[in-house]
Amino acid sequence: MATTTGPSTGRFPSPFEIETPPGAEGWRDMYVPYLLFSEENREYEDNAFWIWDSMHLPEVQLPFETHANEGWIYAVSAVNSRIFAVPPSFGIAQRILNGYQFIALSTVTDPKEIEARAAVYAERAGYYYQHWDELFERWKVKAEKLITDMAALEIPERLPDLETEQFFYAHPGANSGQFLLKAYATLLQMDLTAWTYHFEMLNIGYAAYLNFFMFCRQAFPGITDQTLAHMLSGTETMYLRPDGELRKLARLAIDLGVADRVAAATDPNRTIAVLRADPKGREWVEALDAVRQPWFNLSNGNGLYHHHQSWNDDLRVPFKSMAGYIARLQRGESIDRPVKEINERKERITAEYRALLQSDEDRRAFDQNLGLAKTVATFIEDHAFIIHDWYHSVEWNKVREFGKFLVGVRFLDEVDDLFYLNRWEVPQALFEAVSAWASVTPSRGEHGYWKRFVTKRKGIVEALRSWTPPPALGPAPAESNDPIMLMLYGLTTEHIQTWLGAGDGRANELHGVAASAGRVTGTARVVRSVNELSQVQEGEILVCPLTEPSWSPIFATIKGAVSDIGGIMSHSAIISREYGLPAVVGTGSGTTTIKTGDTITVDGTSGTVTIHR
Amino acid sequence: MSEPAVIWLEDCGGDCGPLVGGKALGLGALLREGLRVPAGFAVTTRAYRDHVDANRLAEDIGRLLRECDDSPAAQQRAAQEIRQLFEHSRVSAQLEDELLGAHERLCAGGVRGPRGDAGVAGSPWPVAVRSSATAEDLGEASFAGQQETYLWILGGEQVVRHVVRCWGSLFTPQAIAYRAHRNIAADDLAMGVIVQRMVPAEAAGVMLTIDPVTGDRSQIAIEGSFGLGAAVVGGEVTPDRFCVDKVVLEVRSRAIGAKTVAYRFDPAVQGTVREPVPPAQQHEPCVSDEEVLELARLGKRVERALGRPQDLEWAIGPGESGPREVFLLQARPETVWSQKQTTPLVPPNTSVMDRILHTLGAPGSAPPPRGI
Repeated sequence: MATTTGPSTGRFPSPFEIETPPGAEGWRDMYVPYLLFSEENREYEDNAFWIWDSMHLPEVQLPFETHANEGWIYAVSAVNSRIFAVPPSFGIAQRILNGYQFIALSTVTDPKEIEARAAVYAERAGYYYQHWDELFERWKVKAEKLITDMAALEIPERLPDLETEQFFYAHPGANSGQFLLKAYATLLQMDLTAWTYHFEMLNIGYAAYLNFFMFCRQAFPGITDQTLAHMLSGTETMYLRPDGELRKLARLAIDLGVADRVAAATDPNRTIAVLRADPKGREWVEALDAVRQPWFNLSNGNGLYHHHQSWNDDLRVPFKSMAGYIARLQRGESIDRPVKEINERKERITAEYRALLQSDEDRRAFDQNLGLAKTVATFIEDHAFIIHDWYHSVEWNKVREFGKFLVGVRFLDEVDDLFYLNRWEVPQALFEAVSAWASVTPSRGEHGYWKRFVTKRKGIVEALRSWTPPPALGPAPAESNDPIMLMLYGLTTEHIQTWLGAGDGRANELHGVAASAGRVTGTARVVRSVNELSQVQEGEILVCPLTEPSWSPIFATIKGAVSDIGGIMSHSAIISREYGLPAVVGTGSGTTTIKTGDTITVDGTSGTVTIHR
Repeated sequence: MSEPAVIWLEDCGGDCGPLVGGKALGLGALLREGLRVPAGFAVTTRAYRDHVDANRLAEDIGRLLRECDDSPAAQQRAAQEIRQLFEHSRVSAQLEDELLGAHERLCAGGVRGPRGDAGVAGSPWPVAVRSSATAEDLGEASFAGQQETYLWILGGEQVVRHVVRCWGSLFTPQAIAYRAHRNIAADDLAMGVIVQRMVPAEAAGVMLTIDPVTGDRSQIAIEGSFGLGAAVVGGEVTPDRFCVDKVVLEVRSRAIGAKTVAYRFDPAVQGTVREPVPPAQQHEPCVSDEEVLELARLGKRVERALGRPQDLEWAIGPGESGPREVFLLQARPETVWSQKQTTPLVPPNTSVMDRILHTLGAPGSAPPPRGI
């Protein structure tokens, strides 16, 4: 009934037989001990089925970065196991192997327990479904407050030689070092809160999605995932707002006569400064400033790595998009999204499926299932912007303030070196620093203790980056139909069987998720980060690790898309469908197999990418 | 008012089923929906009856059938003799005038050569003469294709001759055997005949507006091959097979068959010939994706207009606005899945929560899924 049950049909390597890549010796010391496969826990770990979480974490995690993933795995687990009692699912175990994250499901196998949990689920999820809109409104208030609090968290760049009079007469009965330590604890606590908010309504929302999907698949075996997703997708979701704001700003730039300067900006911050100097320019900059919070918190990643940056961090990305919109407007083209057409199509498609059902009872079930799925869709579509993009853009920069402090006390050379220390080492360094500050004595830290860690770990991480994890570890289950794994990872029995059979050498063909229908042949452009987006030429096929919402303007110039990671509900899939571009996502190895300049065929209907060599 | 001998296909509807037969009725429905069907007219059962009466054929036919025993040889012989009776019968001047007049009107719309070229000025438009059985006779589709279809008939006189010949095909040995088995008297028999412009098909085939394997009503299955539809209907080639999503109108799958032969018009013999398809062409799709989608759109329209999944025959060939126009040649209700008892996907009175729990794999809390 769930992923880890059933007789094994094959075996992936044991986590205990995976070797350390050359040059990465000592990698285990970087990570917190409970994230490692261990002799103490070998019996469980060697018999569980682990999958590489390449969908969320395709790259090596730096030691500090695991805190985010510890947070979300903990949160998703508790929601399933302890709060809503999702009948067949407890939680998810995570392990780090050679720097990459593997996960295993903990499932409920006793039918009596499943039945008992079903009663609890019906009661608790039922309450949420019934009060969804109201709960989501309250959710938004608390989530936005969390972000505001995170932004307001004060982290001093340095501690005062002497506490100020103001501080003294407020008689806090404390000192600045203590507040620094407290701020760090608060930040970690907030991170955990962000993740528990993230999953508060997500899993039960996905269950409602899945219920609608499975009903439709039963009624219409030929219906595709993309059609199902299309029926539920909103045209006014938060993810579409940032791009919408750019379109408005492009129009405003033309109206105010500053379009050429905006379009020509190579250093946006300088351009902004120059524009402020004249009234028209200032008007435009004020309009820009008004939308930067929250809409420019759009991240170029999923927020799980420290190097995922938002538009606010790198204004070149939105400026390049605006330049594109300005050029199109100047050519007399429309840049409006065909919202009316998209909505009409969605309505038509939904009505047609409904009309094809054969009984009143089926139509009643369709209406109910669709109704609930649409109700939860608001949360499912918007939670990710609020947590992944907005919250995490703020959080990573807040973490950097601790980095700044540690550079200030000469514990580290660079702010981002902090990410090479894990979440329990950072407070050690901080405590060491504040205690040296208090005692006014020298510390190990200022004599290179932490810097040596960083230097060594940079070498290890580099070595780990050249290693490619196996898709899974341990005994393969006969069946994989766990609803959560299906929804979060698209993990099916077929997937696992494909992985087992992989390596039969058909490197000129890649398989992934058919995300947006159609077939196109063209020249590939491999883009690994948002900074390389400017290389994309009109009419090329974008090949990338992930496509994130901030990349969406590029979809106006490409004619197809391939990504390593992502499912049918990923942003790239949604945007591709909106632009009517063929797209295959979740190929696993598109960016490593395809080279820029290759002629490739993307079949977004079958989910196949062919490389013509 | 007496019943007419000729009814134009677009007027075949309402209660004229007994007069024109099922096939003409189906085509009439398509035409009234504004769908592209080759123009044509039905020669009614009234014309048949008048002809049989005028030639006093009933008596002879009755005698031949009575004398015929159950053996295939005897039935074969009777069939041959009855058809001879028709061959030698005389068409009344009035009927001949009506048929020639209708044929002339049918050809008046312009003349086009068999391959879509300009054709020869003044040469008649080739027509197909096809039977259109009435339900009273052979029932639901069980004898579909048993009566003869004459392709590429040129000229009014030939048309008249083939209408009569088509009537004679009411008495094939199989039909005689079938009726003997069912005790259907020959006295009440009658047959409609369709005279329709010929589509010199570049490609033709069949379309089912339901997935024949799963019964999925959101899918359309299309099969086609080069030339006239005979190669597909007769199973002589592995046709190209396309699956189209009916709702979103996207081609879901395409399997290109090995199409080794094609039926085409041969000017030298003034008729259809079975010719080999050049090896290089055999594995080329017989229709483009755009044409597949156009077919699917047509199928969807027909299904909507006629209220249930359809089994259609189509052809692509020269028409008034281009060399590759899509024509519908026949529409009949799909019978396999449409007649199946449909059980609801969900048992009555389940709640959304019941269904969610079932989705989440909590057995016992909700019904098991229906097998498809």
